Amino acid sequence: MPSLYVSITRMTVAMNNNNELSRRRFLLSASALTASAFVRVTGASVVAIAQAACSARDSSAPFRSLSPEEAADIEAIAARIIPTTGTPGATEAGVVHFFDNAFAAEMKDSLEQVRAGIVHLNAAIGESSRFAALSPDAQDARLREIEHSDFFGLVREMTICGFFAMSDYGGNNGHVGWDLIGFKGHNGGWQYPFGYYDAQVHGGDGDGE
Amino acid sequence: MANNPPFDLRKPVDFAIIGSGSAGGILAKELATAGFKVVVFEQGPYRNAADFGHDELSTIFRFELNGDTSGQTFRHTADQSATARPLPPAEYAQTVGGSSTHFTGNFWRFREIDFKERSVLGPISGTNFADWPISYEELEPYYTKVDWEIGVSGAPGPNDAPRSKPFPMPPMPIKSSGVLLERGAAKLGLTAQPEPLAILTKPHNGRPACIRCGYCMWFGCEVGAKSSTLAAMIPLAEASGNCEIRAESAVFRIDTDKQGRASEVLYYDAAGNERAQKARAVIVCANGAETPRLLLMSASDRHPDGLANSSGFVGRNLMFNAHSAVNAVFDEPLNDYKGVQVTRVIHDFYDNDEARGFYGGGGIDARPLWSATPILHSLMGMPPDVPSWGAAWKDAITHNFTRQMSFVGSTTSLAQDSNNITLDPVATDRWGRPGLRVTYLDHDDDLAMAEFLEDRAMELAEAAGAVKYWPFENGPSTGSPHLLGTCRMGDDPQTSVVDRDHRSHDVPNLFICDGSSFVTSGRGQPTMTIMALAFRAADKIKAAAAAGTI
Repeated sequence: MPSLYVSITRMTVAMNNNNELSRRRFLLSASALTASAFVRVTGASVVAIAQAACSARDSSAPFRSLSPEEAADIEAIAARIIPTTGTPGATEAGVVHFFDNAFAAEMKDSLEQVRAGIVHLNAAIGESSRFAALSPDAQDARLREIEHSDFFGLVREMTICGFFAMSDYGGNNGHVGWDLIGFKGHNGGWQYPFGYYDAQVHGGDGDGE
Repeated sequence: MANNPPFDLRKPVDFAIIGSGSAGGILAKELATAGFKVVVFEQGPYRNAADFGHDELSTIFRFELNGDTSGQTFRHTADQSATARPLPPAEYAQTVGGSSTHFTGNFWRFREIDFKERSVLGPISGTNFADWPISYEELEPYYTKVDWEIGVSGAPGPNDAPRSKPFPMPPMPIKSSGVLLERGAAKLGLTAQPEPLAILTKPHNGRPACIRCGYCMWFGCEVGAKSSTLAAMIPLAEASGNCEIRAESAVFRIDTDKQGRASEVLYYDAAGNERAQKARAVIVCANGAETPRLLLMSASDRHPDGLANSSGFVGRNLMFNAHSAVNAVFDEPLNDYKGVQVTRVIHDFYDNDEARGFYGGGGIDARPLWSATPILHSLMGMPPDVPSWGAAWKDAITHNFTRQMSFVGSTTSLAQDSNNITLDPVATDRWGRPGLRVTYLDHDDDLAMAEFLEDRAMELAEAAGAVKYWPFENGPSTGSPHLLGTCRMGDDPQTSVVDRDHRSHDVPNLFICDGSSFVTSGRGQPTMTIMALAFRAADKIKAAAAAGTI
């Protein structure tokens, strides 16, 4: 069975080459590995996160681990990683609550590192403003300066997890992440045909419903 | 599910079976229903179908079913120092039913050639390439038993090995990925055949058919349609009244008596207390990594190099199966996340071909792979030329997720001394047992074969009409869910650990049956053969018990 091992192995090897493609593959690889590390640290207490999530997703509820300024900066970073375009992005998914829950529970050991990352992010901006207050273009420019850092890697992976994990974790509010990409994985079983190409064999319209 | 009352620890049971997975679950059912008293030890908890869900984060990224893998270390070669890795190098589920609960269910039989390839091709220098002591013909009735008792759906392909009975149920209806594989194959003069799957297409033996939820790979089946031993065997074992499944019980030693016979199984219970179960015979089915670790941990004055290890072959010849993958995006939605992973496979490259210039063989299947769930797709399945964040990333995943699939190659691995399981001299697991140290570097031919299939998969993607496709680069493995060859079977006690009937050469009442029994790796999907070996081993063990020779 091919598994994570296939790609991680291969992409790790690719990092030994110096061309641009290989470098990108390594970044993807490192990203996947960090994701594993992230999810390992997050540990087993799914229930705790899930229970906390309901209140946290209520925007009037206070954050559990993040200060309002930190939450605003993380929400702003996440909004550049998965921006709101003509369709919902990280903001509409409530990804910041996924972060807040994780840092209040199994990832609390990572909170200081992330705080330091936020401080570093803002240090280059000056005392009169914060990252969250910059224009989207200025935010992108600042993020490009740190996009190879561990801090950005972690925030990127957590944004993706918060956008696509089950809503119980605090993000993916109203399944906007799943709806965006056409994933209806929460609906249970399916009938044939599932898609365009098998519809040519089985008949039907191929939406699987 | 009725669990039987616990057996008395001090009163010997007939069989202590260590491991409840593909092999252990079958041996438990076969022996318990034949009237023997059996205790099955499982490190992980006793989960049932109702305990399995669709949580991608916890299942795939938190390795929920793998449990605690602390103490595992990896290195490529013996001159390196082994280190802990973010992903466990030996990837298996710690739960009742073992890895059969979370497998994808690709159930290829071996062919005749797999058992005698060394004789046909000659030696391969630097390897322990060898024939099996048994033939396809001897194993065939047990493959058929797996088809019917475990439950395998499928239809015969043009070059399959002969079968004595048809599949018990038709194959899964073809998915879009299968249609596209057929399309590519037709253009290239290849044959895409239905994939045999250990997933039910019709109700069978009191179990329901697949509901096509899409959560097969790495997930437990919530309806019991996936043919794990948890769904197919363990309920029958327990219903006999002769079998206790002792979950959350981590065995750390098999003790022998003065006669050199296995007498007692020592383990930690859920609370970490040391316990010991007396047994008349012991069957180790702990998988190709845990089985050799346990035998090495069971060293004693009588067995200084580990139990059943007079040959020095315990832990050697580890084989992972090499793999390759090519991702492809098509014009229209496949929605391949729905239903099982694989519905079609190409076996035109099964046989070794001297013209390739290296040893090997394998198959190419079509499946969603990374595109079965969204986080996996995000982290592993995105095209390499797409930025890793921002609007372009979002546009790509929005467009590609439902339109993407993968062509996956699975191949042979050669047996080598240098690829092995040993006890880590430093690392320990949660109970303080010596860590599982994996040393592995794919043979050059294994990597060449994987690359060969990757090249063919690129051609298939083009021929199938993909608008975009890209491969992963070939490189050495750093871990695998396929754990094969580490206690190989053979007639010569100098070069094998168990005989052709799975009895250890050194200890008459110690049997070993799981992926570790393999002599060669097959073409990349081993579990069907693990299960067939287990049914056959059960018959041999029952016969030996009846003859009074255990």
